[in-house]
Amino acid sequence: MRVGKEFFKGLYQENPIFRLALGLCPTLAVTSSAANGLGMGLAATFVLVGSNFIISLVRKFIPKRIRIPCFIVVIATFVSLVEMVMQAYSPQLYKSLGIFVPLIVVNCIILGRAEAFASRNGVGLSLLDGLGMGAGFTLALLIIGTIRELLGAGKIFGHIILGSGYNPALLFILPPGAFLTIGLLMGLFNFMEERRKRG
Amino acid sequence: MKEVIKFGGLLLLITGVAAGLLAYVDSLTKPKIEEQKRSKQEEALSWVLPQAKDGVIIPHSLKGKVCYYLGYAHKDTTHLVGYAFLAKGTGFSSDIETMVGVDTSGVITGIRVLSQKETPGLGSRIVEAKPGETEPWFQRQFKGEKTGQVAVKEDGGEIISITGATISSRVVANSIKEGALHLKKLIEESKGK
Amino acid sequence: MDIGHLLIIAVASILVNNFVLSRFLGLCPYIGVSKQLDSAIGMGMAVIFVMTMASLSTWIIYTYLLAPATSIWKVDLTYLRTISFILVIAALVQLVEMVLQKLVPTLYRSLGIYLPLITTNCAVLGVTVLNIDKRFGFVESVVQGFTAGVGFTLALVLMAGIREKLDLADIPKPLQGIPIAFIVAGIMSIAFLGFSGLVTE
Repeated sequence: MRVGKEFFKGLYQENPIFRLALGLCPTLAVTSSAANGLGMGLAATFVLVGSNFIISLVRKFIPKRIRIPCFIVVIATFVSLVEMVMQAYSPQLYKSLGIFVPLIVVNCIILGRAEAFASRNGVGLSLLDGLGMGAGFTLALLIIGTIRELLGAGKIFGHIILGSGYNPALLFILPPGAFLTIGLLMGLFNFMEERRKRG
Repeated sequence: MKEVIKFGGLLLLITGVAAGLLAYVDSLTKPKIEEQKRSKQEEALSWVLPQAKDGVIIPHSLKGKVCYYLGYAHKDTTHLVGYAFLAKGTGFSSDIETMVGVDTSGVITGIRVLSQKETPGLGSRIVEAKPGETEPWFQRQFKGEKTGQVAVKEDGGEIISITGATISSRVVANSIKEGALHLKKLIEESKGK
Repeated sequence: MDIGHLLIIAVASILVNNFVLSRFLGLCPYIGVSKQLDSAIGMGMAVIFVMTMASLSTWIIYTYLLAPATSIWKVDLTYLRTISFILVIAALVQLVEMVLQKLVPTLYRSLGIYLPLITTNCAVLGVTVLNIDKRFGFVESVVQGFTAGVGFTLALVLMAGIREKLDLADIPKPLQGIPIAFIVAGIMSIAFLGFSGLVTE
C-alpha cells in the first residue's frame, strides 16, 4: 500500500543518514548523548513535516526559477519557530543543542525532501514522507547517540549502565569517535543490504 | 527585467508573511523567555550567596547598569556577608556567563553558570549534574577557592576540567578570576568615594 | 586591533577548532567533493570566499538591523536572524555561481551540484551564527570567516589526497565509499586533537 511505503522507506531503505548520507553535520555533533540525539531528531522532524506540508500545499504557486529561495524561507521560518518555542519551553535542550538548532535550516534532509518530494506530490503523501524521513533520522540519531554515550560514558539517557568498573573510552564522545561510529555503522548497513540482496 | 521584479516581489511577499508570523510567535514566547531569565538569575543569586539566604541581596549600579550585588545577612542591611557578580568569558562556541558569589574575604561561596552554548556533550557539561545531585560537579569545585588563585589544573590551579573540554573549563575559571579582580576595583572605588 | 588576538582566532579556526574535524560543520560537501584533489581545491576557494563575504554581510545586518542595542531602529528583531542570514548566504552563492560560470566554466562544471549546495553547507551558516554567539566585532568576524574557510579547505584537501590513494587500495566492499571516508576523517580528527594544547586563552 502506497501510504505505508511512503512512511516506512524513511526508516530503512532510504534512511537519510545511513543510506542517503544526508543531514550529517548535526548527526555527528549532537549524538554525544542519546537524549540530545532524540531532542534534535524531534525538532528536525517537526521542521521537516511542517515545511513538507506548506511546500506541498503551495507547490503550484511557486515559480520554478525561485523555488529554492522560497523553500529556504519556509524552512527557515519553521526553524525560527522551533528556536523560539524550544528556548521558552525546553531551555535545557536548547542549551544542550547549541548552534545546531538554527543549523537545522541547512540540514540537507529537509531541503532535499522539499525538492525531491514535497514540491511534486500531494499534501497527504508529503506529510507521510516527512514523518517517515524524520522518524528515520531520529532513529539513526538515537542509535548513534546510545552507542556513543554507552561506550564513551557508560550511560544511556544519563543513567549509568556500565558501572564504575568500566573505564569509559572517552574517544567516543569526542569528534573522532563520532566519525568512527558513523563510518562503521554505515559499513554495517551496506553489509546488511548486500546480504539482503544476495539472499 | 520584468521577470526579476515579479520574482523579487513574490519572494519579498513570502518573506514578509514569514517575518510577520515570526514576529507574532516572538511576542508570545518572548515574555516567557525573559521571565525565565529573570527567575533564573534570582535563583542563581540566592544559590551563590547562601550566607544571605535569610537576608537580602541588593544590586549595585553604576551609570544605570548593575555591576554587582551586595549580600546581607539580615533584611536591615546591617551585616554585609558577601558580594555577587556576573563573570563573562568567551568559550569555544559561545559566551559563558557565570554568577559568582564571594564572601567579604574573597573566598568563593558558590557559582552558577547561567548561559552557554558550548559543544553538546563536551563543553556543555559544565552545567551537567550527576544523577541524584542538584549541583553540577564542575561548578561545585569552585566553592572555597580564593578568587585570586582560581585556575584549572592545566594552569596550575585546583579545578579539574571537563575531559575533552579544557577550553570551556578554563574560560569559566579565568572569567571568575578576572571578574573578581574587577569587582575588587569597583568596591575600592566606591569606598574611596 | 590587536594582531595577536586575531592570530589566535586564525590558528584556532584552522587547527585547534577545525570546522570540519572538531566542530562537525561542512560535512556534506566534505564527503561529496573530497574525491578528487582539484575539485576539492576549487570548492575550498569558493567556500573561503563565501564564508568571508557572508561573515562580513551578516555581521553588518545583525548589528545594524536586528540587534536592539545597536540597530538603527532600536527594535528587537533578533528572531529574524536565521531567516535573514540564510537568505544572504543563498544570494552570495548565486553570485559566485554566476561569476564562476562566466569566468571559469571548467571549474563551474566540475563542481556541479556541489556549488549551489554551498548554501546548505553548515559551515557557512555555522560561522555566521558563531560570530554572533561569540560576540565578535567586525574585524574579528571577518577573520573568523576567512580562517574557518581555510580550515575547511585544509581538511578537504587532506581528505582528497588520501581518498585518491584509497581508490587504489583494497577495501572491504561494505566499507567502500562513504564509510571509509568517515573512518579516515575519524583518524584525521584524532590527529587534529593533538593541536588542542596549542591555543591557551
